[in-house]
Amino acid sequence: MRIGILNELAYRMNFLVQLLQSGMSLLTALVGFLVVFSHTETLGDWRPNDILALLGVYLIVGGLVGLLIRPSMSRLMEDVREGTLDYTLTKPEDAQFLVSIAQVRIWKLTDFVLGSIVLGYALFNRGLDVGFDETIAFAVTLTCGGAIVYSFFLILSTLSFWFIRIDNILVIFDAMYQAGRWPIGLYPYWLKFVLTFIVPIAFAITVPAEGLIGRLDAQTLGLDIGVATLMIAVSRLFWRYGLRNYSGASA
Amino acid sequence: MTMPAIQVSQLSKTYVVPEREAGLSAAFKSLIHRKTREVKAVDQISFTVDEGEIVGFLGPNGAGKTTSLKMLSGLLYPTSGEAHVLGHIPSKRHRDFLSDITLVMGQRNQLVWDIPVIDSLERNRAVYRVPRSDYQSTIDELTELLDLGELLQKPVRNLSLGERMKCEIAAALLHRPSVLFLDEPTIGLDVTMQRRIREFISAYNREHGAAVLLTSHYMADVEALCDRVIVIHHGRVLFDGPLTDLVARFSPHKTIQIELDTESADLSEYGDVVEQEGARYKISVDKAVTPEVTGRLLADLPVIDLTVEDPPIENVIEQVFSSENAES
Repeated sequence: MRIGILNELAYRMNFLVQLLQSGMSLLTALVGFLVVFSHTETLGDWRPNDILALLGVYLIVGGLVGLLIRPSMSRLMEDVREGTLDYTLTKPEDAQFLVSIAQVRIWKLTDFVLGSIVLGYALFNRGLDVGFDETIAFAVTLTCGGAIVYSFFLILSTLSFWFIRIDNILVIFDAMYQAGRWPIGLYPYWLKFVLTFIVPIAFAITVPAEGLIGRLDAQTLGLDIGVATLMIAVSRLFWRYGLRNYSGASA
Repeated sequence: MTMPAIQVSQLSKTYVVPEREAGLSAAFKSLIHRKTREVKAVDQISFTVDEGEIVGFLGPNGAGKTTSLKMLSGLLYPTSGEAHVLGHIPSKRHRDFLSDITLVMGQRNQLVWDIPVIDSLERNRAVYRVPRSDYQSTIDELTELLDLGELLQKPVRNLSLGERMKCEIAAALLHRPSVLFLDEPTIGLDVTMQRRIREFISAYNREHGAAVLLTSHYMADVEALCDRVIVIHHGRVLFDGPLTDLVARFSPHKTIQIELDTESADLSEYGDVVEQEGARYKISVDKAVTPEVTGRLLADLPVIDLTVEDPPIENVIEQVFSSENAES
């Protein structure tokens, strides 16, 4: 973990680029937001400040994924291809744990910070009506969302034990993730299904945002927790199965 | 009776590899339907290595050396057969087992590229849970033995290949393992650096009584370090025993080097002339008759200089493999 941070700090220029990138993505998101709400007062039954809060969650989750999960999983795929995973596997520590914290992109914190600002602003506009229940719901759903996205990534990355090169799959995730800027409920049925159960973006963004602004029902919350538990178990099993089939890159 | 450090019986590993013909259309075809083929990388090998022993693991490229080492260090699941290292089954990857072995691969690094070596070492310290007090004394010891000095403060990318290898070895030994798997630890290094690493391995082995299983293509490594060698080829063990026996068994000849005062002598009646360079000749003779031939040479010819030696170990090894090919 510490190593990942040290590794990043070695390249200061990256920070500026990342700052610029975060700013740009926030800007495009805001422009989209303004364009939509110059035509309408509500979107589905979401009002502008709700959407803005969702945008905040979108940035926060994106920042967290980009901070740890994504870089570590990309690193895992690379390690499988180059055979350097061998070294990780000879360490007396749980290999899944080691690969999951292998790399940190500290600059992604900028997304996290910007997202928090956007979220704070949206909540302030709504009149700061976030109570105890909402806070708990947000914390639980955000944790579950994180766990689901992490498991999802782990399963994809484990596939590289067989297919070696599947970096492109991560690009697909990025593209899908963009869709999370808007409430998943707004999309047509088939897309809603894809974004919930195939690429679990609904659980990562929409559900936590709903929790925060008090729109979450108990059924969704239960489903969220259930799916998170299941995903963690499945991805763990799949990872272990993958390890058995790991053949390494020949020296 | 103590248990051997490494005990292997009938260990095999079969890879399933995709097979496809060259060319674009074949590449597309293989996307749809993959033809596969089974390759026996390691085929029922058995051997034991005792505590404190340094054993050379020899064989041409693709003989199954690396695969064997990976199975023994718990990276690969064997297809069949059994292995015990320090009483553990490697593929279970038990924490106690992993804490007591190390794997060094000369062609791959575990040190992190962009940061100073000392930070990578610190990571290994944390992963292996080496207590700080032990850590410092180990670092001091390694620094002295390997002459690391200020290398530790430099980022890995600024190190030369040899310096990097020294640091790699230091990182691999921080937790003082009692079994070392070294896969070509001296590859690509210059002669001085090779000797350095060799001396270090030998010193570590002496001090800590560690078992070492080492592969190398440099016979100098093997001659200097290993009393015993295991030769494998096509995944099978061809020979297991002292290095001197290997030479005796596979090379029934000795080479006589002789210098005369003439460049036109015909020595073919004494043995096979394998080389002639000016007035210097090399003849290969059967071991049994070497003393007699030497005596005759000295009596018959105006000899300026004469030496008798075993053929270079490389040639012996080459002979082992070619004889195996001829048999199969």
